[in-house]
Amino acid sequence: MKIKKKDIQSEIFTGSMADISFLLIIYFMITSAFSATRGLDFALPEDTQTPEIKQEDSIDVHVVRGGAIEVDGSGVPLEGLLPYVAEKLKQNPDKPVILRTDPDATYGDMIRVFDELRQAPSKIDMEIKTISIPTRREIENLWSMLGIQ
Amino acid sequence: MALIRGRDRKGAAQIFTASMADIVFLLIVFFVLTYKVEVDRTRMDLPDTWVRIKVPEKAAVISISPPDANPPLTIRVSTGEEMSLPVSTDEEIVTFASTEVARNPNKEFIVKADDAVPYERIDAVLDALKQSKVKFIYLLSDQKTVAE
Repeated sequence: MKIKKKDIQSEIFTGSMADISFLLIIYFMITSAFSATRGLDFALPEDTQTPEIKQEDSIDVHVVRGGAIEVDGSGVPLEGLLPYVAEKLKQNPDKPVILRTDPDATYGDMIRVFDELRQAPSKIDMEIKTISIPTRREIENLWSMLGIQ
Repeated sequence: MALIRGRDRKGAAQIFTASMADIVFLLIVFFVLTYKVEVDRTRMDLPDTWVRIKVPEKAAVISISPPDANPPLTIRVSTGEEMSLPVSTDEEIVTFASTEVARNPNKEFIVKADDAVPYERIDAVLDALKQSKVKFIYLLSDQKTVAE
């Protein structure tokens, strides 16, 4: 008597694959975030190469409360900042810019001015070689060294 | 004998799902490739700028929460590899930054702050970073558009 062999088909059970896949998608969607990964950069000078910048040898940009700016002591609109800087750089291309910000101004006010200065190569076709952002402590130290109260 | 008429035969309704697996795997692959752990999840309105440089991936992060957050103006620090932790004094920022600079003298730092944060706080953070001999700082921003 012949024994008939039963054909058993091998199968991989994939019924739960959809559940697992959707669970993974939901996990990634919830935990992933499209975060900002760009910004304005600036390098701080090392101790050995820190040049002392005098206010009179530089372009002094002061951001006051409310976002208005004073350049070398006079009020200038943001659009007028780079043309003024261009005039000064024509006389001395190495002239540094000191960006001071009032403690009562906002971070956004300072960033708008810093961004404008960084656009010098595209807007006025000139490069500002040094943009210095001194902290309040550094300014006070300088004033005390110069004997200014 | 009852005849089965054509209209009485009920065909089972089916949704074609064979391509679903392909789509699902495509989505999974996309998320796996683009997945990044965000070390600081403080929600804020970053300032907008035209000039934007790509920040290094493993840079340390110092975030300052918005003035209307609860609690307001909280400073959090992260090494760039671990989740951010709050700090309460400027001295703690100096300690944190000095430790990171001691490990890697060229360590980059990202300052992530809300547009409305008073500059006084930013000044304190920048001062702490300068005291710690940090060389490279990135001020995180969003892309400015013409409408703005």
